[in-house]
Amino acid sequence: MSDEYLVEARGLSLRYGAKTAVDNIAFNIPKGRVVGLLGHNGAGKTSLMKALVGLMPASQGELRVLGLDPLRQREQLLAGLSYIPDVAVLPRWARVDELIRLMSGLQPSFSAERARALLKRTSVSPRDKVKTLSKGMVTQLHLALVAAIDSRLMILDEPTLGLDVMSRKGFYEMLIDEWCDGERSVLISTHQVEEIETLLSDVMMLDEGRLVLNISLEEIDSRFVALSHDPAAAEAVAAAHPLLRYRQQGQAMALFDGEPLLPLETLGRRVRPSLVDLFMALTRKPDVQATSQV
Amino acid sequence: MPQRWNDSSPIYQQLADRLAVQLLDGDPPEGQALPSVRNLASHYLINPLTVGRALQALVEQDLVEARRGLGMYVKVGARTRLRTAAREQFLREEWPALRAKLRRLGLQPQDLNWEKQ
Repeated sequence: MSDEYLVEARGLSLRYGAKTAVDNIAFNIPKGRVVGLLGHNGAGKTSLMKALVGLMPASQGELRVLGLDPLRQREQLLAGLSYIPDVAVLPRWARVDELIRLMSGLQPSFSAERARALLKRTSVSPRDKVKTLSKGMVTQLHLALVAAIDSRLMILDEPTLGLDVMSRKGFYEMLIDEWCDGERSVLISTHQVEEIETLLSDVMMLDEGRLVLNISLEEIDSRFVALSHDPAAAEAVAAAHPLLRYRQQGQAMALFDGEPLLPLETLGRRVRPSLVDLFMALTRKPDVQATSQV
Repeated sequence: MPQRWNDSSPIYQQLADRLAVQLLDGDPPEGQALPSVRNLASHYLINPLTVGRALQALVEQDLVEARRGLGMYVKVGARTRLRTAAREQFLREEWPALRAKLRRLGLQPQDLNWEKQ
C-alpha cells in the first residue's frame, strides 16, 4: 500500500452475518477526484462507506483510508476526515455558533474561522438555531462544518436526499468552490445519477456487492458507444450484442461496450453515452442482463 | 437542477463550444482573462478536470492561451478566427438548405426584412 492514494481497497469483502454486502472488491481513490458511488438500494454503498470510516470491519481483504486502518486507527482517521453519514443529524437545540465551538473542541483540524467564512455563502446565520432551519439549510450547514476540517478526503452518503432543486444546486456549488482544489477528493453516494454526472471525475458502480464498473468519465466517452438508431435497424443492432437496448423519448437506442462491428453512421446517430443508461445496463437483474449481454 | 447539456457530444466539447460562442460575442474581450477553472466549474456545475479539458480544446483551436500563474487569456485575433470559422461553416452547412428553401418559396432578397425588429 502506498501514499499515492487516499483510499485503497484490495479484495475487500463486508458481511452482516451470512449476508454479503460487499463482495471482493478492489479500487483506489487518487487525490483531486470527485468519485460517484452508484448502486441501487442494498447494492452495498452504505456498507462500503461505513467500512471507510471504521464503523464496519472487513470480513476479508485490506482497506486503507488516508494511509490508516479505519477500524484500528479510527480516532486518528476521523481527526482528518470530512464525513456526512446518510442519517446526518445535527442537534436541533443547538445554535450554529455553538456547533462551531463544539466542533472546535472535538476536531483538532477544524477551523472555526473557515466554517464562518463558508457559512457566509449561505443564508444560515451564526445565531440561528438548528431547529429553525430548513432541510436545505441544515445540509449546507453540515457541509460548511465538515469542509472546515483540514482534511484531504470527504465522504458524503446521499448528501442531497430530500432537498429541493435550489438547495441541491447550492450544495454542489459550495462543494466545487470550497472543496475541490485539485488535491482533495470526495466520494459521493447518490441515487440522483443524472444530476451529478457532470460533477464527477470518476464513477464506481456497485451491483449486489460487486464493483461492476470503476472508470473515469473521460474513459466512458472513449470506451462506450451509444447509438440512436432507426427502428428498421433493430435487428442489425441486436446482432452486434449491445449491453442495453432502450427507448429515449420514443427513439430506439443501443449502448455498446467498445466499438461495435457495425456501420454506425448508416444505422443512426452516435450520441454521448449517459451515466444513467450505463448504470441501467450494468446493474439490471442478472436474468435480464443475461439476455442482452454477450 | 436544470439539464443544460445534450447527448450530441462530450460535456467538455459542449462547454468549449459554449465558451467559444461567448468569445465571439466579445465575452471576455481579446487580451482579457477567462474566469478561473474553479469559477467555471461551480458556475456550470462541472468537474474541474472537465473544465480543464474544455479550456485545452480552446487552446488547441488557438483561441486562448495559458499565462503562467495567471490563468487563461483570450488571444488576439480569436474573434476574427472564430467569425471566419463560423462563416465558413454557415456557408458550407446551412446556406445550401436555406437557399433551397428560399427558392422553393420564391422569396427574393427584397422580400426579407434585413433590419432588426
